[in-house]
Parts: sequence; structure tokens; C-alpha cells
Amino acid sequence: MATGGVVTDLDVGDVLGPIEYTLSSFVIREYSHVVEMHHEIFQGAEDLVMPPSLIHLDKLRLYNHACPGGTGPTARIHYEYDAEIFVPVRVGDRLVVSGEVKQRYTKKSREYVLMEMLLKRVDTGELLVRYLDQVILAYSGKNEAA
Amino acid sequence: MSLLSLEAGTEFRTRVRAMTRERMRWYVDAQPTIGADDGRIHTQEPTIHDDDEYARSQGLPGIIADGMISTNWIQGLLIDVFGIDFASRSRLKTKYIAPIYENQKVVACARVDTVTRDVDGHDIYTLEVWCEDDDTKKKLTVGTARVQIS
Repeated sequence: MATGGVVTDLDVGDVLGPIEYTLSSFVIREYSHVVEMHHEIFQGAEDLVMPPSLIHLDKLRLYNHACPGGTGPTARIHYEYDAEIFVPVRVGDRLVVSGEVKQRYTKKSREYVLMEMLLKRVDTGELLVRYLDQVILAYSGKNEAA
Repeated sequence: MSLLSLEAGTEFRTRVRAMTRERMRWYVDAQPTIGADDGRIHTQEPTIHDDDEYARSQGLPGIIADGMISTNWIQGLLIDVFGIDFASRSRLKTKYIAPIYENQKVVACARVDTVTRDVDGHDIYTLEVWCEDDDTKKKLTVGTARVQIS
């Protein structure tokens, strides 16, 4: 188990979270604003829904909780995003997010880590979003990922 | 745009946007701001997305955009087309195949791949999605999307 240290130490089988929180209108509006999604469903006065991509910031919530030492010696590069939303998530929903490291492997001298995250409703356990996040833990100048 | 006009091969594109230093920093600062969720702006330590010196220390020529910006530009396009359905029952997969550098001009694109109807009568759209450099047309981010229409 590599939790409790830095992100670059994470390994297969590590479980991050669960963490509970309540989805706020501030979070939806702020996130949508910075990525220029100026739709009323994200930036209106009421009846806001969560942009599916907001799940990505739950990864940072999990990192901060499970890896208090921070990023580690090398910058982390995001490589793949894969989010599936099953039910609209709304302001005031009480949510619980958890993550599990599914793969860690080396390819062309780069370290890849794949984490699966699940966002559920606290009171019912209903699965709302499943997210697969793949990162490269160390970037070399030859790397083509962004 | 009416959904009735959508068929395989239909293509959508956003306007051209320059990946400016400010756009990159907006996303950097959004992360601690949203994490704090207290209504105030928060900042974080230097990253490869907002600090050239730190980016060079990590083997990069300078700052590069967070991949989630291009993912969100694609998602914004899909919300333009499908509305709340995309925020309700959908899947989006993106892969960052090339870095996006400061001031690179980027267009987010989507093309309908298939249109089917499931057993419950919902129309299901699958799409190819990507972000491309507006000057060279080189693809920078690629992926697929699926959306169920209610």
C-alpha cells in the first residue's frame, strides 16, 4: 500500500477515499466558467447539473486526502480521460467518491497509472459517474502526451 | 440545431480559440478554488501549466495546457448539440496525443459516427471527437463520445 505518501508512489490496489461531500452551485459555476461552458444548466441561477468532467477534480480531492506529501518528485501528465455518467447530478446532492489504482506499468520508459473512480449517492449507493483516469507520472522531453 | 437533422457524418466545430497563458492559469487556479469551495479564489504551487521555469525543469520547452481544457472544450461542444442529455446519460473518452502550447490555436470537433435506437426507444448517438490545431490541422486530442437522448 502506497497511500499516505506522495502521488508518484501510488500502486496497484491502493484505495483512495471514500470522501463525502455536498455538490454546491459555486463548484459547478466556477468550473464551467473556467472551461468556458457558459450554458444555463451550468451557470444559471437554479436547477444546475454537474458537468460530467467535474469528476476529474474529485481525483485531486482523493489525491489530497490519500497523498498528503503532494505530487512527488516529477510532474504528473494527464494522458486519458474516460467518464460515463448514468444519472444527472444536481446541486445539494450528497455524494461519496472513491478511487482504486487498477494498473501501474512502464511503457517506453514512462510510468503510467490507471485509476478507477466511482461517484455514488450517499443515501442510496446509486452509481452516478464512473471515471477512468490515466496519467504519466514522469514526463520526458520525448513524450508526446499532453 | 435540431436533433432531427443529425445523421452519421454530421460534423460540428467550435470557433477557434487560442490556448493562451490565461486560459491555462484559469484551470490551474480552479483546482484549489473548487477544492476549498468557500466562494473565494485560491492559488496553488507552480505547475507545468502556469510556470515556464517549472515546466522546463520537467523536460518541457515551456508551459503546456492541462488536457482537461481540451476535454472540456469538446464537452462544451457536445452540450451545445445535445443539451442536458449529455450531462445526464453519456460517456466521453479523450486521449491527449500531443501537447498544446501557449497561443496554439485550437478547434474542438465532433462527427456523428452512428445513430441507433435502443430497446427502450432512446436514440443513441456515438461520435468521434477531437481537438485540432487550426493552422496545421494536426490532431492534438482524440476520442469518442456516446449520448443517450431522453
